Amino acid sequence: MAIFSKLLTKTDIKKRLSFPTRCLESLPCFGRGHAVDFHVMDECGQLWTFRCTIRKKKNPKPVISKDWSKFVSRKNLDVGDMITFSKLENIVGCAFYKIEVKKPVKLFGVNVDLEISDGEALEILKVASSHGSLMDRSNAILQQEQQQQSLNPKDWIAVDSQNAWDLLHEERSLMTRITTSCADLDDILGGGISCKQVTEIGGVPGIGKTQLGIQLAVNVQMPSYCGGLGGKAIYIDTEGSFMGERAQEIAEAYVEDISEYNRFLHKDLQACQGEIQGKDVLQNIYFFRICSYTEQIALINYLEEFISDHKDVKIVIIDSVAFHFRQGFEDMSLRTRILGEMALKLVKLAKMCNLAVVLLNQVTTRYMEGSFQLSFSLGDNWSRCCTNRIILYWNGNERYAYIDKSPYLRSAAAPYSVTSRGIRNSASHCKRSKLV
Amino acid sequence: MSQIQSDPSSLRPAFMTPQKLLPDEKCSLGCPILDCCMGGGIPCNSITEIVAESGSGKTQFCLQLSLRAQLPPFLGGLSASSLYLYTEFPFPTRRLHQLSSALQSQYPQIFVNNYDPCDGVFLQSVNTADQLLDIMPQVESFLENSKTRLPVRVIVIDSMAALFRAEFDNTASDLIRRSSLFFKISGKLKEFAKRFNLAVLVTNQVMDVVDSGEGANETRIGNLNGMYSSGRRISPALGLSWANCVNSRLFLSKDEYESGSVGGGESGFQSRQTRRRLHVVFAPHLPGLSCEFVIRREGVLGVNR
Repeated sequence: MAIFSKLLTKTDIKKRLSFPTRCLESLPCFGRGHAVDFHVMDECGQLWTFRCTIRKKKNPKPVISKDWSKFVSRKNLDVGDMITFSKLENIVGCAFYKIEVKKPVKLFGVNVDLEISDGEALEILKVASSHGSLMDRSNAILQQEQQQQSLNPKDWIAVDSQNAWDLLHEERSLMTRITTSCADLDDILGGGISCKQVTEIGGVPGIGKTQLGIQLAVNVQMPSYCGGLGGKAIYIDTEGSFMGERAQEIAEAYVEDISEYNRFLHKDLQACQGEIQGKDVLQNIYFFRICSYTEQIALINYLEEFISDHKDVKIVIIDSVAFHFRQGFEDMSLRTRILGEMALKLVKLAKMCNLAVVLLNQVTTRYMEGSFQLSFSLGDNWSRCCTNRIILYWNGNERYAYIDKSPYLRSAAAPYSVTSRGIRNSASHCKRSKLV
Repeated sequence: MSQIQSDPSSLRPAFMTPQKLLPDEKCSLGCPILDCCMGGGIPCNSITEIVAESGSGKTQFCLQLSLRAQLPPFLGGLSASSLYLYTEFPFPTRRLHQLSSALQSQYPQIFVNNYDPCDGVFLQSVNTADQLLDIMPQVESFLENSKTRLPVRVIVIDSMAALFRAEFDNTASDLIRRSSLFFKISGKLKEFAKRFNLAVLVTNQVMDVVDSGEGANETRIGNLNGMYSSGRRISPALGLSWANCVNSRLFLSKDEYESGSVGGGESGFQSRQTRRRLHVVFAPHLPGLSCEFVIRREGVLGVNR
């Protein structure tokens, strides 16, 4: 949400930035003082500490100082440049501020509005090229301009590729997460399993991989007023471990939780109750049972088409990705190739369709450096394909999840437990049900 | 195959919703306490493994299941015959007959005209893992066009471990060959389980855990933190790869205890009793329950204690 945009004046460049009083409410609270410091992020992701000062008298006349002059010199700002202040929210609802700079581009000596589309840009270039000799000149100018604007290539001419800021912005605004129903696990995952990415989850038999898979297939349906995606799930079962009755159990617990939540929010009870039922939740899971690796590959090739028909699919779960690839492949290089191709397809699918891909994997013992160690099956080449990797393991009598690999999360471990209602926080204080 | 080739759109995998999977079909073992522990019985469309040391009652469970499957669904069965692949000799024919006549007398209205429940159990001996894989096509055609009175919907393999005991060394190449066989066998079984909606029950033996002094060296699998039977620490044979191949694992433990002396006691007639328990090690649909059971003439029965 943009707070204000302003063409910079001489005072703004030389001294401090003044801005409209009405924008004050979007800035951090002043409390009783007349100045407040806050952080603002620029396009490059750099943080600047700006101080907003007001007068206590009738007209506050807010101005921004502190790092502002540093910002001006670093960004080489000049009179007539436009800055845009905006306020965004991250996934947990914390506000942060962003500043963008737009410099006017001069084409043939005329200021060109920078908000031109690709088509318009092409049009301009076509016109330019039709003028023959002008083309070279315009190119020269453009290059010159580009050099001047190297800080902000995006504004030069709309291009197809994304810069890091776009990616970051997209991450902030679009990268939604699917809760695991275990608060501790969500914590270390930054809110849950992220969309647009491939997450691999592995562990010994009986650790709860399938349980987590079913839980995610249910949780992805969480309506938006509960902070969910309201999407559907594709569950690909290669092992036959998906049990309808268990899915129903988890779905019913989920429905109970949702209605509990509604009651808590004093939502219109009549409207919410009876809206979702356990069987509706199951209805929103597209379930595929796969019996050979050829079927698996065929299905993954078909997924894109399937998802284009079912656009509300927000998660694809494969339980497990390894099973059919461990049945005596003679030609290992062929296997590596097939797996690599499959992984690429899944990565692409996650990105294009803005959905989460969760691959459950088995673990195997491998002989490494003189001892037997647990590792994920399907080998090293495969492990490079997944963006995130979570290991589930036993720690004493408690189940733990450990983030083994992630480009943006710290590696951390969190306990969780598998209850009759599904995946939940580990309740070490109220002892697991006795086993003996 | 020709059908698929003629119509490429049929290649498109069909999805279903989990609703279709409900209710999961189970084959009851005929005892409510045991069934309760196993969520209703041995599930169809899934591989269930029973792990136990010898003499714990693995075979008893297998025999009981293969007979009980013939009961109609309202009595907990599947109205189905079973295929029993045995690897250890001799096959306990006498015990099967004993259980069969017990079942017959329990449900005379089902087994009319002197029908012997044994007739619904098809036996096949298997000696090696390769042989098991080799007879899979035969098994498939047997399942497909069974001329049996009831369709075959139960496959029992007793025991899996015996197939692998002899011919594999502890070398890397043999271990790789072995685990690839596991996955082939399990893949085939799961395919059958899905196509014919079979309940597959396999048994597995145990090994003693040799404490190498390094403490918790082995990988914990499932709900039990260490399996104990007859006072010894044990672990399932065939290792982690095989554990990946089954859907559920049950563990039978037994412990002998002295229940006090009988008849005066000064002569030292100590009565020793065996306490047996069934544990759910892991299962996608079950919590880690356990229950005690006894083996009687009529079969395996759960005990509430």
